[in-house]
Amino acid sequence: MAVAGEDALIMQVQTGDLDAYGEIVREYQTSVFNVCLRILGDVQEAEDLTQEAFLRAYRNISQYDPARPFGPWMRVLAANLCYNHLKKARLVRVPLEDEREILKDDSQRSPEILLELAQESHSLYRKIWQLPEIQRVALELRHFQGLSYQEMAEAMDLPLNTVRSHLYRARRKLAELLEEENDD
Amino acid sequence: MTDKNKHINLDQLWAYLDGVLDPSQEEVIQSHLEGCPLCQAEYNRLEMLTSQLDTLPEVSLPKDLSSFVVARLKEERSLSPAITWTLVIEAIAAGAVIGVLIPAFQAAGWLPRLLEVKLALQAGANTFLAQLASSWLVWWAGLKLQASQLVTSFDPLENLPLGAFSPWILIGAAGGLVVLINVLLLGRQPLPNNNHKQLQV
Repeated sequence: MAVAGEDALIMQVQTGDLDAYGEIVREYQTSVFNVCLRILGDVQEAEDLTQEAFLRAYRNISQYDPARPFGPWMRVLAANLCYNHLKKARLVRVPLEDEREILKDDSQRSPEILLELAQESHSLYRKIWQLPEIQRVALELRHFQGLSYQEMAEAMDLPLNTVRSHLYRARRKLAELLEEENDD
Repeated sequence: MTDKNKHINLDQLWAYLDGVLDPSQEEVIQSHLEGCPLCQAEYNRLEMLTSQLDTLPEVSLPKDLSSFVVARLKEERSLSPAITWTLVIEAIAAGAVIGVLIPAFQAAGWLPRLLEVKLALQAGANTFLAQLASSWLVWWAGLKLQASQLVTSFDPLENLPLGAFSPWILIGAAGGLVVLINVLLLGRQPLPNNNHKQLQV
């Protein structure tokens, strides 16, 4: 979609044109869905959170700065939504005193949706989903959304050093997992 | 990482790869990498991981979500004015009830009576609770004191004094304080019978 066309659509959306918003959703739904899928590792949850992200984006469209591209704003909003979703789920699932990270069983993380991908990519997805949730969010914001450390800290509402630490651990763990695979 | 002989740690290598180091630090790392095959190999490994992440293909979305999102927003929009009007009507109704009932109570002389009943109930409840608390504390303190004396009397070699800061004495003192506050408050508060007269003044 040409930027000028997108600008016009966004202006229409800001005046309350829902059909124009439908076009925006069609344009960005795949990239937003992929953000959610990389973080959540579950197709159904990713679809639900993608829908929720677009609903929230519309409700908060007044906060969007039209001088900046819509896509990155939308994807960071989705990543943030997934992060908050995971935090809530984690509170329910893990007692506060239990600080062990949850590593989900790799065998459960192979949705059919990945079958269209080459084996290498399929494998990398599975490695990403083996990371603890918070590290996945850090990896998403840094590598896939290109946020700076400071922007990540603001998005995750965490101190800068904590965010760096999560990112560092995520990369180290991912490198280890890939090496293990290469050794096998 | 100023020492050229020391290997670069992973954190610094990532920072270098992320481009967040200042130019002087970058220069040091660059020159180290040129002369250190180990660190260069590590750097290549990290670069490859970044490259793998950067080129990770996206998967297709199984279905179009736009129709659902738009339908949901249209539904919210149609509900929104209905909710707003409901709230406006409810607010007007509540205002009317309050605006009519309070003067009606006043005119009928019910409001002072209601207040009188409320104050009487409050005073009664306060008295009961204060007495209950003070008597319980005094009873508890006495019981503990007796138990303590009984225990210490069995040990002729070490007859421990309770001391000025014994918890039992403190509990007893707290009970006494509650009784005192109770007496003072009730002494100052007008009795329920006087409330009606005061309101009329």
